[in-house]
Amino acid sequence: MAILSKDQAEALLKKALSYSKADECEVNLSGYKGGNIRYARSTVSTSGEEENMSLAVEARFGKRSGVATINEFDDASLEKVVRRAEEVARIAPESPEYVPMLGPQTYLPSNAWFKSTADINPEYRAEAARKSMALADSKKLTSAGFWEDRSGFNAKMNSKGLFAYNQSSDVDFSVTMRTEDGTGTGSGYVTRDVSDVSKLDTAAASEIAAQKALGSMNAKAIEPGKYTVILEPTAAVDLLQNMFGSMDARSAEEGRSFLSKTGGATKLGEKMFDARVTITSDPTNPEIPTSTWAGDGRPHEKVTWIDKGVIKQMPYSRFWAQKKGVKGLPMPGGFIMQGGTQSLEDLIKGTQKGILVTRLWYIRAVDPQTLLYTGLTRDGTFYIENGKIKHPVKNFRFNESPVIMLNNLEALGKPQRIGGNLVPPMKIRDFTFTSLSDAV
Amino acid sequence: MPTPFTFVRLQYRSGNWDTDQRMPSNLLHSLVEYTTVPVVEQEKVISLESAELFRYPFCYLSGHKLVQFNAKEKANFVKYVQNGGFVFVDDCNHDIDGLFARSFEEQMRVCFGPKALKKLPNNHALYKSFFKFEEGPPTTSFELNGWGDDLVHDYLKAYEVNGRIGVLYSNKDYGCEWDYDFRNKRWLAEDNTKFGVNILMYALTS
Repeated sequence: MAILSKDQAEALLKKALSYSKADECEVNLSGYKGGNIRYARSTVSTSGEEENMSLAVEARFGKRSGVATINEFDDASLEKVVRRAEEVARIAPESPEYVPMLGPQTYLPSNAWFKSTADINPEYRAEAARKSMALADSKKLTSAGFWEDRSGFNAKMNSKGLFAYNQSSDVDFSVTMRTEDGTGTGSGYVTRDVSDVSKLDTAAASEIAAQKALGSMNAKAIEPGKYTVILEPTAAVDLLQNMFGSMDARSAEEGRSFLSKTGGATKLGEKMFDARVTITSDPTNPEIPTSTWAGDGRPHEKVTWIDKGVIKQMPYSRFWAQKKGVKGLPMPGGFIMQGGTQSLEDLIKGTQKGILVTRLWYIRAVDPQTLLYTGLTRDGTFYIENGKIKHPVKNFRFNESPVIMLNNLEALGKPQRIGGNLVPPMKIRDFTFTSLSDAV
Repeated sequence: MPTPFTFVRLQYRSGNWDTDQRMPSNLLHSLVEYTTVPVVEQEKVISLESAELFRYPFCYLSGHKLVQFNAKEKANFVKYVQNGGFVFVDDCNHDIDGLFARSFEEQMRVCFGPKALKKLPNNHALYKSFFKFEEGPPTTSFELNGWGDDLVHDYLKAYEVNGRIGVLYSNKDYGCEWDYDFRNKRWLAEDNTKFGVNILMYALTS
């Protein structure tokens, strides 16, 4: 059994820790059970199920640290892995960024585990894939999809008295649908991720991919340039995640990020975005529940990172927070961007001229200090005129920065879960498309 | 009190002249930011057929489509340039050999002879008239697409009258490049409208 209860995990970690002779010792235990199914051309091509449990031990002598891992849990194995970590620690160089291990912490109660997801079996996965393939078949589309589910736990204990435990479950599903060879160049994509699998309907999701595929056949080329766009959450999330991943305080203070100012100052407290941009995190949010503690043992709390366009917090590593003498929050597990009440359809209805973007793909950084990114639209790009989708358009290469994008907001829709975050569909003016792409 | 600078956009009957609507206010913002030139805040649209254009030293002409001057437009364009006016012409297509480029270049042949437009060397005074652009005209994001499909026009063309540019002709689509809200300029690594300041300062001071 790869998933231990809190009590079972605590007992095992205590035993492992009891073998330690190091100055400091930390033991991390994780286990999961999960599976996947992949299909293409209306046929399942791979499927699998796995479970595993693993223990990692970090031993420290002064500022020297060593890590060893094992997935056997009898007493001799537990002692063996602790000894091995200690051996490595003794010969390791001193870490210039040493911080002492954390003492006991208080965590919010976690709600990231769902029995529905933990109970998924191969038949369940097969049925989920069948529904998606059947929908594609009924519309003479070719589908390629992937489903992956995982339920598990993480636990951490150290010689300073810290103990943390969390259970979680997640399912990721995505499918691309294409029109048959010779009938055009239609392509549609949809992705969904949930913690509670009862919220995931692969047929309903696949219907969206099918509509996009059928609607995007024989796209017309329009000239690249600056357009008002409606970015669906699937299209917006990657740019936003890249921005969020670049908010680290150390990068900003060392002059390496978009939050840097010359001379070591940062843009903390400055208004960087449209006043409607508010981004928070909450490990207990029922739509995107995450672990209530970070990998380094610090608690995840409810945090407002960006408030009405103003940078309020930046994530800190423990080393950098100690060096700077601040509390320093860890990077959260997911972010929540506030939106409005309009649906995607409402946003389209309110658009005179614009382009609906289903997905941005193959995103690469151009300039880390202004967060300029380039990439392609894909799987359904449509021209909107007078509040209606008029025709599909050929895909574009874009050159855009999420910072500028979030200054050019026209409207926000109702947020939805995407990639473990809550992101609204966004209507943005002056989004820069620089050339056409032959990709579909 | 010196006369404030007016950004004049030329309206012509063929094609489309009404492009890149935020570009003028963005350039005017740069002029205010970097220079002491007093400005009129709103752009002024003047028909190429109207004699009103002779009151202003600088005009902007752009579009995507056909440029075919009628007799009055042609006469005014030639007279304006020969009398010392400066026209900045920008092709809104970011390809080579587009309709605007072909038809506008033809108009220049009709107006000023077959060899009217000449490549400007990268050491031309235009590239030093306020900021320094040692390598000639700056590239635009529409040209630098990465991935080996770059199509960079590495020079501008001009028709010069007595050693001074009368028509500055760009295939680079600066109009689209500068067509954004000026408040977003602060997020760029470097303000990409600086070359626009050079064009305006050259037109006003040379």
